[in-house]
Amino acid sequence: MEQMINFGIDLGTTNSAIAKFANGKVQLFQNPTDPGTYTLPSVIAFQEDRIVAGKKAREWLERDPQSVVGRFKRKMGTSEKYDIKSIGATKTPVELSAIILKELRTFLPPGEYPEAGVITIPASFDTIQSNATKEAASQAGFRQVLLLQEPIAASLAYANTKKEAGMPDGQWLVYDLGGGTFDVAMIRVKEGEMKVMDHEGDNFLGGTDFDNLIVEKLLIPAITERYKFSDLEQEMKSARGKYNAKYFVLLQQAEEAKILLSSKSNAVITVDGLTDENNAPVDFEYTITRTAFNELIAPHIDDTIHMVEQIITRNKLTAKDLQFVLMVGGSTFIPYVRQRVEEVLGVPVNCEVDPITAVAAGAAYYASGKANVIGESTLAANSPVAIKVTYPKVSREKEELFLAKVTGETTNLTYRITREDGGFDTGIKTLSERISEYLPLVANVYNFFKLTVYDQENKVIETGTGIIGIDSGYGINGQPIPEDICLEIDDDDKPGETKLLQVFQKNNILPSRKTITRVLNKTISDTNGERIRINVLEGPHYALPEANKSLGYLEIAADKLNKKVLKGSDIELTFNISESRDLTVTAYLQMADQEFKQTFTPQERHTPVDVLRIEIYTLAGKLENEIFETNNHEDYAVGKQLAELKKDMDNIKGEAKALAEDDVTDKRYQLEDRKRKLAQAIDLATKQNRMNDVRAAYFNIKTVCHQRVIAGGSEQDKQHFYDIVKDEEHFLAVPSPARTIEKSTALHVLNMTMLWRDPEFLVNTFKELLAAQRAANYDESLKALEQEGLQAIQQRNWSKLTEVDHALIARVPRGAAQDVIRKVGF
Amino acid sequence: MADPIKVTKAYLDILNQVFEIEKKLSVLQESNSIQRNVNKLKEIMENDIVAQGGDDITGFIYHNPIGEDYNITRTDCEASIAGESTEDLQITEVIKPIIRFRNGGANIIVQKAIVVVKAKNSL
Repeated sequence: MEQMINFGIDLGTTNSAIAKFANGKVQLFQNPTDPGTYTLPSVIAFQEDRIVAGKKAREWLERDPQSVVGRFKRKMGTSEKYDIKSIGATKTPVELSAIILKELRTFLPPGEYPEAGVITIPASFDTIQSNATKEAASQAGFRQVLLLQEPIAASLAYANTKKEAGMPDGQWLVYDLGGGTFDVAMIRVKEGEMKVMDHEGDNFLGGTDFDNLIVEKLLIPAITERYKFSDLEQEMKSARGKYNAKYFVLLQQAEEAKILLSSKSNAVITVDGLTDENNAPVDFEYTITRTAFNELIAPHIDDTIHMVEQIITRNKLTAKDLQFVLMVGGSTFIPYVRQRVEEVLGVPVNCEVDPITAVAAGAAYYASGKANVIGESTLAANSPVAIKVTYPKVSREKEELFLAKVTGETTNLTYRITREDGGFDTGIKTLSERISEYLPLVANVYNFFKLTVYDQENKVIETGTGIIGIDSGYGINGQPIPEDICLEIDDDDKPGETKLLQVFQKNNILPSRKTITRVLNKTISDTNGERIRINVLEGPHYALPEANKSLGYLEIAADKLNKKVLKGSDIELTFNISESRDLTVTAYLQMADQEFKQTFTPQERHTPVDVLRIEIYTLAGKLENEIFETNNHEDYAVGKQLAELKKDMDNIKGEAKALAEDDVTDKRYQLEDRKRKLAQAIDLATKQNRMNDVRAAYFNIKTVCHQRVIAGGSEQDKQHFYDIVKDEEHFLAVPSPARTIEKSTALHVLNMTMLWRDPEFLVNTFKELLAAQRAANYDESLKALEQEGLQAIQQRNWSKLTEVDHALIARVPRGAAQDVIRKVGF
Repeated sequence: MADPIKVTKAYLDILNQVFEIEKKLSVLQESNSIQRNVNKLKEIMENDIVAQGGDDITGFIYHNPIGEDYNITRTDCEASIAGESTEDLQITEVIKPIIRFRNGGANIIVQKAIVVVKAKNSL
């Protein structure tokens, strides 16, 4: 099969883009330093040791015009040269365009290096300007270049949205209003050939002018109307002005408002952050309506329409001769632009192409039909250089020095270092024998950087340096936590019992901090004598609380509270563990707006005798239950083990009972230790039983859910089901039941979701709920629901029946809350 | 370069609002505990937003780069340069913060900060 060019490039005055035709469609490439955008601002900044193209360069354009160049495309084909102050040299528009083309290549994935491409040019370009564009492409390493006029490219993008091949004979206009330029062209198709008949344009009109208008004509007058400023506009717009920084803030807000007004009828701009001459702080909200915005831009839009009319008149045509006006360029998102063009010209507007990328896409379509005569692109073969790099693998600094020693021939080679998260880019720099760069580090993560070396044509040269990784969070400075650190919480499934919640995972690095918010499950007031117990333990989070070592204990009784805190209010617990393992627990009770704080040091163990006693009694109760359960299961081996443990338990219970509240000996610690060991033994003996129950429940719901998915689940349900169960072998193997329970819950939810879409279930639910409620209270509202439900069944209106079922459920009185014993309080 | 991820815009909008509240709080110096609620919101966004069953922590973190140095290599910010000089710049106003999305070990910028920068000698 013949190989095609496939790559299309929009080398624009203000923005450029690159696209590729592959597998029957056009793919646009994102800007790697500006994820989410497909364009590269056609601006280049030169600094002493680097070249930066794109958005960063545009930031410097206004402030450093002697070293930053934009809009150079307009000078293509002229002998004009740009004096670049920072490098003390001149650059031609051709050289500058070549830099943009090279930069666009970096949008492509590794290994892609096109040497043939279709590059678009304005309809107004003459032969010399066109040749200059070809020269730029040649300097950027393109060996085969085809030029395509921008309005034709946009029209091709449109033509390819149509299923039928080719365009019928006729003519239309391409109206291109971008960020900084306006162009209009008339296209004619005759016998399959597409041609630009005429064109007009304004090189200084676009979306950025509209942002300026919002600030100048609306925001500044609104500020001066409300506050005292003698010359606010001057102070804002002058680089030396007092409010120059504020001007840029307003411009930014104006741009956002402009975008919002394309979809909403008004947008609110908050104006604050400066004080007037009477020292009054400026703070108000300005609402800009779409109507006000339209009035603001109307004269400019009318100017563009005037240019369109000129084209129509001088080609001796009328609006009726035109099929449509194809809208291209970001500013044609503005509804008023579309509306006004259609209204004045009386020709329908066509908004079927993406106005931002249509030109690049059209170029790629064109490229897909043109043979690539130079064959496969090749990457640079043998690397002319070898690079040895040095950098710290771990650092807590804000930046780290990266050094590299380069051996071999470095002439005409450049390099660039980028950070993988998109937050750092050195720009293109000349490669010499040594590289020395400060790399900025993001705290607490692994920072990955990439060093890329390019040849003169921007081909990537493999140097084998690999990824530069600097760990900025998990350094050797921090010691790992030896065991899980857990919080004891009430077990919702087993009233009166508790379980553990992992606060810090084993091997987390010290120091560490975590906040957990829980809902209180009991009211704490003077009258009920309840208290909140915060018990922090060290040990595996899947073990029984009694099996772990107590690290610290904080109790909040009602007498310490400013006011009663109700069940259902939040308690926020913050755990801070220092490098020297001091644990600070801070409890904040939202309702009382009160904070309690305690630091536990490893030497100071908080083991009040009364708490210890409660723990021991609880454990004894638990053991009794386990013995009962084990006997029920006829598991005699475990039963025997537990009977042995019970003897020890009884001893501990007796000793705890005899222990005085103010015992000063080590007895309480010994007892605590024995209790912990005993709990571990119980845990070990019975864990298998508990895990088996959890696993059995999981397989049960899995079977039910699977049958329902197969019987009538949607593709989405199937996908969801497989997502839940896919790592089953892993979570079933984990000693903690938590993940398996979580998965069972997810399956249960999926099952219920499918059920609620099943007509049979809906009808049965309706009948059952109705029958139950009819017996209790057959009132008017129930009659109405019955009527609605029967009607829905008759009409097979299942969404209506779902609503009726929900309404019936809502009528069921909530059962009286069962008060259960809550040990901890959350 | 990490693959760009699609992020629900509403999450970014919420974080930008939280950031605004925090910014206003810093000048308010209230004795109340609004900062606590702000911190809570940040923690929810950081730990609980996108996590669905996996073991990795996923969520959004924002960073306010106010006062930090600025130069052309910083692609985590979009800057407007105020004043006359472009040398030795510092971030003086932050309109939107840097928002990162973390998924286990990966950490990607999903919103660049929108900032105003000025030469240090003009501050």
